[in-house]
Amino acid sequence: MVSDSKGIFYVNDPLEKLMFEELRNACRGGGFGGFLPAMKQIGNVAALPGIVHKSIGLPDVHSGYGFAIGNMAAFDMSDPTSVVSPGGVGFDINCGVRLLRTNLDEGDVQPVKEQLAQALFDHIPVGGGFQGGHTHERQGPGRSTGDGGGLVPEGRLRLGRGQGALRGVRQDAAGRPQQGLFEGQEERPAAVPVALHGLGRGRLTLVLYLTQLGTLGAGNHYAEIQVVDEIYNDYAAKKMGIDHKGQVCVMIHSGSRGLGHQVATDALVAMEKAMKRDKITVNDRQLACARVTSEEGQDYLKGMAAAGNYAWVNRASMTFLTRQAFAKVFTTTPDDLDMHVIYDVSHNIAKVEEHMVDGKQKTLLVHRKGSTRAFPPHHPLIAVDYQLTGQPVLIGGTMGTCSYVLTGTEQGMTETFGTTCHGAGRALSRAKSRRNLDFQDVLDRLADQGIAIRVASPKLVMEEAPESYKNVTDVVNTCHDAGISKKAIKLRPIAVIKG
Amino acid sequence: MFRRKLTALDYHNPSGFDCKDETEFRNFIVWLEDQKIRHYKIEDRGNLRNIHSSDWPKFFEKYVQDVSCPFSAQERPETVDWLLGLAVRFEYGDNVDKYKDCKPEAASNDTEKPSDPLINLDSNNPDFKAGVMALANLLQIQRHDDYLVMLKAIRILIQERLTPEAIAKASQSKEGLPVSLDKHILGFDTGDATLNEAAQILRLLHIEELRELQTRINEAIVAVQAIIADPRTDYRLGKVGR
Repeated sequence: MVSDSKGIFYVNDPLEKLMFEELRNACRGGGFGGFLPAMKQIGNVAALPGIVHKSIGLPDVHSGYGFAIGNMAAFDMSDPTSVVSPGGVGFDINCGVRLLRTNLDEGDVQPVKEQLAQALFDHIPVGGGFQGGHTHERQGPGRSTGDGGGLVPEGRLRLGRGQGALRGVRQDAAGRPQQGLFEGQEERPAAVPVALHGLGRGRLTLVLYLTQLGTLGAGNHYAEIQVVDEIYNDYAAKKMGIDHKGQVCVMIHSGSRGLGHQVATDALVAMEKAMKRDKITVNDRQLACARVTSEEGQDYLKGMAAAGNYAWVNRASMTFLTRQAFAKVFTTTPDDLDMHVIYDVSHNIAKVEEHMVDGKQKTLLVHRKGSTRAFPPHHPLIAVDYQLTGQPVLIGGTMGTCSYVLTGTEQGMTETFGTTCHGAGRALSRAKSRRNLDFQDVLDRLADQGIAIRVASPKLVMEEAPESYKNVTDVVNTCHDAGISKKAIKLRPIAVIKG
Repeated sequence: MFRRKLTALDYHNPSGFDCKDETEFRNFIVWLEDQKIRHYKIEDRGNLRNIHSSDWPKFFEKYVQDVSCPFSAQERPETVDWLLGLAVRFEYGDNVDKYKDCKPEAASNDTEKPSDPLINLDSNNPDFKAGVMALANLLQIQRHDDYLVMLKAIRILIQERLTPEAIAKASQSKEGLPVSLDKHILGFDTGDATLNEAAQILRLLHIEELRELQTRINEAIVAVQAIIADPRTDYRLGKVGR
């Protein structure tokens, strides 16, 4: 398999230092999490069959399973040898961020910050595994399932939980069409049963994952109350309904929970066989892939679409819960609080898109893992109200650091196939963070910053501490300076809830 | 299938009538002749009235011929329809004064829309060309080789700018942010400043159309949701917090 494609990555000086440090550690045999260093991973991806343009590392790139997190790679759909790789999407399929605006000002929220954080924590079920669902407290002792142990669902009781979440989505959506504010309208709802059927599972699995619907999950997932700290682009901000500093927003960061993981794991197993059959060789065993046209490839894409839909419904249902929590604290209606979705982006997905390659329009399968689609102004796939500004790109920071809203650019469209960074990007491994940091220190520091925090599992907080991550401002500025996306708004957190 | 005519004739069962039911059919024919058509004299109607006779079809065939029905007795639905039409005509003839002032009910929906007057225009007529030119000069509209295209442009301009509604709309303060044209990213370069500006204007017009479309889509979604979804959460069932 010879490919003349190259791997590149975007950095500024401090980020470059981190990249080379990671490489150096790996060469000394350090490495972390059993992953190759990101720089090698970017190179390995550049050697995959059917890749066009380059394998691109965004400024927040760090090593992950097979593909680095923060890697974009596009494959030519018209090339029969082109592949799709679950590692290029990630295990948390359609993990992403959604931003809601409110018409509240920081002054309205500060006095009730603690109540608001508590209300959010009460409304949005958090925590890993199958805990923390909508009817968790109704399950008697001994029936709680820990981390997915005893998977047989308690029939109606648990199904009812999922349905409750769905009802919320319906109520949330009714009367307020979303105006194409999601990236993934091409995903077909019918894909869910199809995909599960393809995976050799049936109703049981569906019921099982329904119970996780409308739950935040653990890890780096969070819901944050944020205030506008800086507006870089007045016009774009106004188009998003943001008109002054201090305006309050809510950011929800979650994904497809267990379903995405299931889809990815099953696909990896199937693809190992397909690789032998089709004689696909790759530089890293973790880069398991299958030809896009093969049965395994198509099965994975369907399963991925299903998990993608699941994640969107998941975030939609938490939107509903957030609106309810705010309405309760401010004793008014969500609509009076102007709580509308600004945008919803996916960080982990592969999509079929049209791009110009060497002056010719081509249909590509664009893998974006830990990176965000950032389409320029006038692109037909972005909502009409953002036609002049370019697609909003939501960049979630880490606990206690700021978040950004960027917009897509024409330059990004040609250079990175309309792709930019997704967040801060991990600098320390989870294990290293746990060794080096104390959770109480982390919590205390957040409190000192005036950030209300509710955490379901505080002992895991150090994994997500700002110290474990690259500096999000470095990351965003690198994208801005490189021209692959432009800064529009900066947000800082005043309350965080986490799994 | 004969509901309207039967209703007009005050038949006792206009919507349930089935001409294939032999008894009902024979009774119906007797009723029609007795009450409405009265082609035979009363004393001559005996054979027709004897509906249980096995010869009845023969007499009915003769009756059909006697009233000069163009259909044969075997083509039953056609015959029935024709006879009903005849009866309605007699009914009207007997009560001209009663019915002559009846206005047809204003058909509410299915009136034909007036066809586009532009279709019947002869665009090669010199009078037409002169008229269009005069209008175009008056409204400062660009010349175009096709006079029909020019006429369309004139119509759009008048509709969008000069109708009372358009004027009323324009006088209302419009929501939105005024932004200078050159600030927008065109996305491509034609190499000509004037062309670029024109392209930018086209972009904006296109976006306005898209917005209009999106608004209609939203309205359609809301309308459908009003039917399919009445989402109300029963908050008593939920338990918040742990």
